[in-house]
Amino acid sequence: MSTAAVASLLPLPVVIPLAGAATAPVLARVHRHLPLIVSALTMATAAAVLLVIAPRVYTGDGRVVAHFFGHWGPVDGKVLGVAFAADPFGLTFALISAVLGTLLLVSALSELGELGPREIGGFACLFQLLLAALVAAALTADTINLFVWFEVAALASYGLTGFFLERPIALEAAFKVLVLTTIGGFLVFVGSALLYADHGALNFAQLQRALPGHVTTPDLLALGLLVAGFATKAGLMPFHGWLPDAHTAAPGAVSALFSALMVDLGLVGIVRLTMQVYPGGHRILGLLTALGVVSAILGAALALAQDDLKRLLAWDTVSQMGVLMIGFASATPAGVAGATYHLVNHALFKGLMFLCAGAIVHATGETSMSRMGGLARRRPLLTGAFTVGVLAIAGVPPLNGFASLGLIHEGLHSGGHPVVLGGALLAQVLTIAALGRAAYVAFYRRRSDDYDHLEPLRPGMRVTLLSLGAACVAFGVLPGVVVDRVAAPAASVLLHPAAYAQAVLARGGDVPPLPVSFSYGNAGDLLLTAVTVVVGVALAVGYLRIPEPVPIRWLRAAHTGSVNDYAALATAGVITCAVVVLA
Amino acid sequence: MILGNYLAVAALFSLGLYAVLSRRNLIKIVMGLSLMESSTYLLLVSLAYRRRSTAPVLLNPPKGQTESGLAHGNVADPVLQNFCLTAIVIGVAITAVFLTVAVRAAQHYDSVDADDLRALRG
Repeated sequence: MSTAAVASLLPLPVVIPLAGAATAPVLARVHRHLPLIVSALTMATAAAVLLVIAPRVYTGDGRVVAHFFGHWGPVDGKVLGVAFAADPFGLTFALISAVLGTLLLVSALSELGELGPREIGGFACLFQLLLAALVAAALTADTINLFVWFEVAALASYGLTGFFLERPIALEAAFKVLVLTTIGGFLVFVGSALLYADHGALNFAQLQRALPGHVTTPDLLALGLLVAGFATKAGLMPFHGWLPDAHTAAPGAVSALFSALMVDLGLVGIVRLTMQVYPGGHRILGLLTALGVVSAILGAALALAQDDLKRLLAWDTVSQMGVLMIGFASATPAGVAGATYHLVNHALFKGLMFLCAGAIVHATGETSMSRMGGLARRRPLLTGAFTVGVLAIAGVPPLNGFASLGLIHEGLHSGGHPVVLGGALLAQVLTIAALGRAAYVAFYRRRSDDYDHLEPLRPGMRVTLLSLGAACVAFGVLPGVVVDRVAAPAASVLLHPAAYAQAVLARGGDVPPLPVSFSYGNAGDLLLTAVTVVVGVALAVGYLRIPEPVPIRWLRAAHTGSVNDYAALATAGVITCAVVVLA
Repeated sequence: MILGNYLAVAALFSLGLYAVLSRRNLIKIVMGLSLMESSTYLLLVSLAYRRRSTAPVLLNPPKGQTESGLAHGNVADPVLQNFCLTAIVIGVAITAVFLTVAVRAAQHYDSVDADDLRALRG
């Protein structure tokens, strides 16, 4: 196939799930399980189409393949139509969304198979809608189109958060998600409109060419609003109020989808706008680093204090989003490549751990860790899967977290940010402590009395847990391939915005090579991992023995659960973003 | 006077935000968000305006003018007005979801006070 023919396939991975979403409620009338089975097939088809495109994008040092809808291509550098551009960065996120989405749907078939046809039809519809929006947001090269997919993902997430409408906490969580995400949507919308009003352009490439000449005050204001809006979706502090609540209330597969994939939509938006559209060298990267460090440390500290397993994992997502943001904002080859790699890894191990949490709720009906325990003997597969997830996030070789965290740390070191590196390591220690404590309390702690009822693991959950665990190992033992073929090209397309713009406007083009390498033999990385793991485990052991420390009690008291307070925090964040960018 | 529009945008937005931050009634929070939303519509339509421009209707031009003449002449930017329509459609859908959640919450808690919806915290 010619490159143009391959490029014309680009809308398909979005159109297929959208069609699946439209038909799901109808299929539910034929048979209860049909919507979920068909939606797993549609997502697998979408993944297959992306895999057909992949060899053209991951070739050589990386390529960009662009398609203009309705063949409204660029004329004299002016873009009239909406463009989908598959670059190594976006395609990586689109691929992991489609593949992980398929696995999550298989798991949901087991977890939620007993629901009525109406519920399953609605669930399959919203799930595919959200996945389609994620794939589209990864591929689009247009500001307002990105806003539309942001809103599609938001609408689907409202429905999924409040999916168990009969549970009061689901309603509460849905209301908080609605308020904060709606505010985020306004910010993205107004930001995109301001950019258009100033430059008459929506396409990333055209904006990239228009901006370096004169970044005016409205442009900077637009940047502040856009960053704040997407940070709301990414769950970065102080825009994070909705995130832990949304994950606590939803079914396991939905929490996995939110944490592993949906929050990344915000990161993709921030990264595209700050690195590929706006010219570099301004203070926005410092602002992003600050947001990242605060989220990474405070998120992990709050995770350490949780008793609800899913809430703990959700706070850890806030922390991991911070780590990813730090990596991207370092703007060094190793840091950006490591962050792209970590984005994939985070999707894999966080998806794995949320599915474990969902499986525990399914098996025991318990959500709080203090009422679990003793699962290591009773549920060895589940325990093994969760342990793999914890070790991966702790960066223990040969699991996948080791390579990506190593690259991020190297990027911070080479970029000359010792304070940020210290913050990242502190967050890493707290993360290890929080998850180590969770693994001990929920799984390895002895439990004398038996559970009233212990539901067996269903085949669908078993398959998903095993495949995600295997993927964590595979991405860990093959860092060379991942870095050379995927992460380095992705970092290159983000760090060479002019090449990206050129390639999109020419409907295809190469990305310059970027030297990034990673090897297991680096004694410094191994030593650093050993030290963080030892300190983290010591902290976990210590934390189990002492009453709640004062700073953590303050942090928890600050999260009052009131939607007004969370909106006020987010507003303060927006004002901070705007002031820092404009000052 | 277009400056009046921008002042109205700021006033509407601030009013809506004030309601979201200070009212505990779920319905009033939704109303506040609706006000903020309408301020964004007004902002977009105002951004689309150019000094002394006419509406961007190019079909059936008035006597003495041609379609291409209008297109090259002074018309308001139709793209931003188009976004405004998109946002109105999205806004309707979101308000519907909002009110559904508020009604269900009212049924469960027998109250529309956001302070009663604080089981998840810390």
